[in-house]
Amino acid sequence: MNKNRFTDWLSTFILCFLFWLLLVFSLQPREILLGLIVSAIVAWVSCRFLIHESAFYLYNPVRFVLLLFYAVCIFLVELIKANVAMARIVLSPGLDGYKPGVIRIPAAKNIRSLYGLDMVANSITLTPGTITMEVAEDTQGDNYFYVQWASVEETDREKAGDIIKGRMENWIGRIWR
Amino acid sequence: MNIAVTIFLVIGAFFTFVGALGVLRMPDVFGRLQASTCIATLGTINIVIAGVLYAASSDMSAGVIVKLVLFGLLVILTNPVSNHALCKAAYHMGIRPEKGFEPDDYAADFGAADDAENEVKEEA
Repeated sequence: MNKNRFTDWLSTFILCFLFWLLLVFSLQPREILLGLIVSAIVAWVSCRFLIHESAFYLYNPVRFVLLLFYAVCIFLVELIKANVAMARIVLSPGLDGYKPGVIRIPAAKNIRSLYGLDMVANSITLTPGTITMEVAEDTQGDNYFYVQWASVEETDREKAGDIIKGRMENWIGRIWR
Repeated sequence: MNIAVTIFLVIGAFFTFVGALGVLRMPDVFGRLQASTCIATLGTINIVIAGVLYAASSDMSAGVIVKLVLFGLLVILTNPVSNHALCKAAYHMGIRPEKGFEPDDYAADFGAADDAENEVKEEA
């Protein structure tokens, strides 16, 4: 285990142990001991899948606060808007506005890391009406999302990207590289 | 406090109902997947908030609240992964909406649709 692998393991271990403490929510010695053992094993197995870049990237408090702010303020607003639009389609008598299509939208240039792309893709999937099918990179190194859209309003790819991603991508760009 | 709990429960129940109705009414797999996202997002979030408010108002331990929040978080974190996998699998199986996808950039760029259809036919 070289030094790099050890920091990966340590960062995964801390996350697992915090999660365990929240889940059992008691500070009895035997719970803590069991949690230490289980988190060590889980981190040893899974750190190579979880950590791809610098291990302690998210432990920066500014980024963590930004992440919380994104989840509570920005993402929730987009979620409510999309949910109301979906409810309008479902409750209309003839399913008006249901026009399925798969469209390719460009990702922002400043998001390059796997975490950032993954978070944008998952945010798109979580808003009702859009599901990310594929993230692909072209020969110039630009990334594209292939989004399955339930009600296609715009076939121009740039404008469609603005409608689908809304303000989410700007904020994710501040959290991840 | 009881009124707030009821309001959040009703909103959560409404969006869960919309999602379930969408699963019944939508004409194809993709529409059903899209509609079911309503259940996992605003349905779950509102019901979890109602649970947290109820637990806070009736002197339950803080552990209950933390477990509720973690439950909501896990549902929200795992849902997009399965949705993405189901959608892509349905696409590669050759399933299409009745009128087809209006713009279909995925087929234009990857051309995987025809291959998948041929494979399915060969197996059958």
